[in-house]
Amino acid sequence: MGTVHAKSLDPLPMHGRDLSVNPDDLVEAPETEQEAKQEILENKDVVVQHVNIQGLGRTKEDLLGYEISDVFHAKNLIDVMKKSHIARQKLLRLGIFKEVEVLIDTSEGTDALPNGLDVTFEVTEVKRLTGSYNTMVGNNEGSMVLGLKLPNMFGRAEKLTFQFSYGTKETSYGLSFFKPQNTNTVVTATLNFPLGWTNHTLKWEGVWRELGCLARSASFAVREESGHSLKSALSHTVSVDSRNSAIFPSRGALLRLNQELAGYTGGDASFLKEDFELQLNRRLFWDSVLSASLWGGMLYPLGGQPSCIADRFYLGGPTSVRGFGMYSIGPQSEGDYLGGEAYWAGGLHLYTPLPFRPGKGGFGDLFRTHFFLNAGNLCNLNYGEGPRAHLQKLAECIRWSYGAGIVLRLGNIARLELNYCVPMGVQSGDRICDGVQFGAGIRFL
Amino acid sequence: MSLPAEAFMSQIAAAEPWPENATLYQPLKEDQILLSDCASSLAVQAYLRMCGLPVQVVCRVNAEYMSPSGKIPFIHVGNQVVSELGPIVQFTKAKGHSLSEALDDVQRAEMKAYMELVNNMLLTAELYIQWCDDATATEISRPRYSSPYSWPLSSILAYQKQWEVRRKMNAIGWGGKTLEQVYEDVSQCCQALSQRLGTQPYFFNKHPTELDALVFGHLFTILTTRLTSAELAERIKSYSNLLSFCRRIEQTYFEDKRS
Repeated sequence: MGTVHAKSLDPLPMHGRDLSVNPDDLVEAPETEQEAKQEILENKDVVVQHVNIQGLGRTKEDLLGYEISDVFHAKNLIDVMKKSHIARQKLLRLGIFKEVEVLIDTSEGTDALPNGLDVTFEVTEVKRLTGSYNTMVGNNEGSMVLGLKLPNMFGRAEKLTFQFSYGTKETSYGLSFFKPQNTNTVVTATLNFPLGWTNHTLKWEGVWRELGCLARSASFAVREESGHSLKSALSHTVSVDSRNSAIFPSRGALLRLNQELAGYTGGDASFLKEDFELQLNRRLFWDSVLSASLWGGMLYPLGGQPSCIADRFYLGGPTSVRGFGMYSIGPQSEGDYLGGEAYWAGGLHLYTPLPFRPGKGGFGDLFRTHFFLNAGNLCNLNYGEGPRAHLQKLAECIRWSYGAGIVLRLGNIARLELNYCVPMGVQSGDRICDGVQFGAGIRFL
Repeated sequence: MSLPAEAFMSQIAAAEPWPENATLYQPLKEDQILLSDCASSLAVQAYLRMCGLPVQVVCRVNAEYMSPSGKIPFIHVGNQVVSELGPIVQFTKAKGHSLSEALDDVQRAEMKAYMELVNNMLLTAELYIQWCDDATATEISRPRYSSPYSWPLSSILAYQKQWEVRRKMNAIGWGGKTLEQVYEDVSQCCQALSQRLGTQPYFFNKHPTELDALVFGHLFTILTTRLTSAELAERIKSYSNLLSFCRRIEQTYFEDKRS
């Protein structure tokens, strides 16, 4: 956590290179005897005269001035301690110091005021080169990442990292160099409140989206969507959740309805988006659970503009319709999937504990075997026609799959799945993943 | 796609004939496009017309971001996307169309040198006037560049572009120049071009080459674009053979439809 020393008797230690923000230097003068005095320090007015940083090697001083400038504004001792603590957090957050210790002491020297204080940050810079090794699990892929990092290369918290990642989906390596910035490209304001059995969330979201083609050979339909756009959207979510657990519920139901309206509070994107999620669970014989789920959604572009690829729905993958590649169902162009404006997906699962119940009462409870039947469709609707035509379009070309597998619960949030899938109803253009499919994520069909 | 696979694809594409539906993309003509982009786009259009290759001009708000190199214009031919005059000339050459085949090595080197002159002088001057001259940037460039986007994204993108161009100008040593000096440079460039052109119809006598297309693109656009000051156009007008050169190309290649 860190230590804060507040001393009033001993002289300030001066070791190593010292950087003083105040041009006056503190001289290491022999200390005259001071009597320990009992005082109520809280209400005593103090003035912070000097703020020093010791232990800087390659870090440039101008980078740190901003972080520690607030300490000068403290008016009493408690305030000094609070502001020093905040400054310490800021210095640590830059990622260039291994440890930061704060020393608060009375002022020394010829210009010392009777209520003057000196604050010193004793820092230890990180090594020039650090290595790391970790494993990552994302939605449908696992990978092992080896990293090499050069923090604070030129003294202003620049970071050069090299990462090599070897995973189930792709192997990649990348070199990145960045300077710390204060810009945010997503701004949200959320209001969450319960109302009876239901939980409501009102959110305003402002997103600056920049879409670009990563590969030269990306299809032209994807290339046409490149560029900047601003989405300013209001959304409202209602959810009713009576399940007894988020990951392996054995009873209860979940209903979540979400609406998003973009374009009426500014921005370039203009659409109305609706989607819902329904899940029912029921316990059957012998600790097995039958679970049925249904998802659906519709995107209605407003203002005559076509919808943007970033707003459309995607379907497919180990977290939705199993047996198909990630987001690999629906309209596509030259191998790149463009998403669709309407979709539905349903799943029927039978969860049972592991056969022969190994590790019962402990580790074994984290696992389940499940047998599943998934189905879904994703397409673009022609909004000029009536609802009958829409339903008809969603009902033709249904993709479905069945299979079985093992599910592992991670905490109370995520789960891992290893399934054997048999995809059916495959349309031309879909990419399937028949046989063994691995999935990891938070929200599963 | 890996590099050898890409090269292989390019080879195959090069063997295909020029399709009917080739398209050229540029920003919106009325409200968005700026002088330098308009000049580059017109140069490519002139070149393709000189080669007798049909191309359709499509205006898109995000043309700059659609382009693989980030520069305007780019053409979409078959399933290939090529941007900027240099690579487009190479691309058409691979398909068997070329304007500079008849030139010998000395002339080709000379042509390349003059093209570099136009790129380094005229194009850079256009960028300077657009973004480094405060009056032009405030009245024309920033409003036009940001017109398709909503606030605050519009301001952010416009200022970002301005900083980017100013940084580039500083990097190549133009940051310290005054507007007068830039006009002088343009005059000198035009003088060199005028001297080379002389009384010939095109730079290399009877037949136009990519150099003619490039010079036409820039000069014609400068002459027909309204800026805060007419000084730039005036400098070019003082060279009468360049004026008649522009008029000749416009009448020969653009008489059916003005782009």
